[in-house]
Amino acid sequence: MKFERNTLLALGLIALAFPLLVGNQYLLHIGIMVLLYAMLATSLNLIVGYVGEFSLGHTAFLGLGAYSAALLSLRLGLPAWATIPLAGVISALFGVLIGAITLRLRGPYFVIITLAFAEVLRLIANNWVDFTNGPMGLSGVAQPALLADASPLMAKRFYFYLALALTAVSLYLAYRFVYSNNGRAAVTVRENRFVAQSVGIRPFVYAMRAFVLGAFLAGLAGGFYAHYITFVGANVFGFAFMVSMIIMVLIGGKGTLIGPLLGALLVTLLTEYLRELQELRLSLFGLIVMAVVLFLPNGLMGFLNQRRERNHSDQADDSATGVQGGPA
Amino acid sequence: MNPTQSDAPLLTVEGLSKTFGGIKAVQDIDFQVNRGEVFGLIGPNGAGKTTCFNLITGFYTPTTGRVTFQGQNITGQSPYRIARRGLVRSFQKTNVLKPLTVFENVLAGHYLSARQSLLATFFPTAPVRRAEQEVRDNAARLVKLLDLGARMDTPAYRLSCGELRLLEVAVALAARPTLLMLDEPAAGLNSQEAMRFGGILKRLRREQVPSIVIVEHNMSLVMDVSDRVMVMDFGRKLAEGTPAQVKNDPDVVEAYLGRARA
Repeated sequence: MKFERNTLLALGLIALAFPLLVGNQYLLHIGIMVLLYAMLATSLNLIVGYVGEFSLGHTAFLGLGAYSAALLSLRLGLPAWATIPLAGVISALFGVLIGAITLRLRGPYFVIITLAFAEVLRLIANNWVDFTNGPMGLSGVAQPALLADASPLMAKRFYFYLALALTAVSLYLAYRFVYSNNGRAAVTVRENRFVAQSVGIRPFVYAMRAFVLGAFLAGLAGGFYAHYITFVGANVFGFAFMVSMIIMVLIGGKGTLIGPLLGALLVTLLTEYLRELQELRLSLFGLIVMAVVLFLPNGLMGFLNQRRERNHSDQADDSATGVQGGPA
Repeated sequence: MNPTQSDAPLLTVEGLSKTFGGIKAVQDIDFQVNRGEVFGLIGPNGAGKTTCFNLITGFYTPTTGRVTFQGQNITGQSPYRIARRGLVRSFQKTNVLKPLTVFENVLAGHYLSARQSLLATFFPTAPVRRAEQEVRDNAARLVKLLDLGARMDTPAYRLSCGELRLLEVAVALAARPTLLMLDEPAAGLNSQEAMRFGGILKRLRREQVPSIVIVEHNMSLVMDVSDRVMVMDFGRKLAEGTPAQVKNDPDVVEAYLGRARA
């Protein structure tokens, strides 16, 4: 708990200094993408790591957030400071709806139905031309007004800090949730539904809370995406985003807060670094995921935690042997 | 035990039956558990003891019959509702949160006393933090009470069988039961460990929860800790009484040892 909090604060400080030290637009763009994916991976982790079910439809919430922000901005002329939170709220409402249906299912059924929801939304976005502009997508989403005559570099810096603020909000909410009675109840349900019920926990409620918080955070990220890229098409519901999020959560370590951040950083940088390899890059990621699942089933953070724990409990074992061996 | 408390039984079970298809797992069981009493439930394998437990705590719905706890009908309610009323159980097959530490397991068991609004989750106020601290202190106290102090920060999957049994009881106690129901808490323990467990049980009864229902195969343990014992066989109630009465009941002797030659 303390370890995680301190690491998060340290990462935040590094991120705060980053735009001041870097004057390169391309590097700033990569920094922004890392933060965007950090938000998305954090939100997916709430579902994979704390509900304990594997969602293949998390892009539904990213897409809902992106389309909500874009439509609110284009149709109603709302500014970004209003559209991004609203995008989160709209996603969360859909989270309640989708969660109410999917959280009654387990294992492969949950996976398939969440995937179906994302696919249905993608088809709607592609075909409801009057509302979503169909395959042409929504372009020209307004940038925040104060960027009207800022230089491109300043604009990138602004977006970096906006993304950082949203990531900080996401992590604050996730941290509070995970380390509260709510988070403990969700973990209890994930680990053992019988124990959960026998100590008075209603399983559905806690799965739902984690799910809706995940939807809210993905919606925020989607809202940011719409304003930063200024274009939203049906690809936000697509499988490419989903694959990136899953790889990040798996590599970093599900069920930890730092894991998904680590995953977001590694995968985004690796994606950029391997750009020349084109399609081969995806095969490479596939191999990496297989290796992670085989050798580090709890991801990098799980591996590190296990090592720390082992050192801990070896000491505890030494001190405990005397007590255990003695007669009662 | 305590004359100032009401005389009404804590738990009343009337005509409880459960059939699975054509199999009558539990037939027409009646019994009462009084306040401040340790009530033992024994019987050969397959006698329906665990089914009885599941029926009372809401994990199964009874086919017929009625369960009353503290004067309220709880028949067929969901397990979590029954737990909230103060009737908390442990499981026969060890059920703990394996990757979590001993302390975290017991802390998770404090769910009901640590409930808070969603707003307080995200923006904790001073009283919420204090309540959280109290819950943590109490969890540490319970771990020590069950002699698991040396294992406080050990993940549950590293515990021995006997320690897991104790941990399970600690998790159940964390939910602050009025009546604690233990399903074979000494299963898999050797006789020395079982004796030690009996000692802990007596301490719990004095300090934590006065009323306990215990299902157990270890006869010396049950006879030692129970005030009254009920014997089941083939889903039916065979006998009920003090340990001494039950031990000498001819039906009970027959169920366990077979008929004596004339």
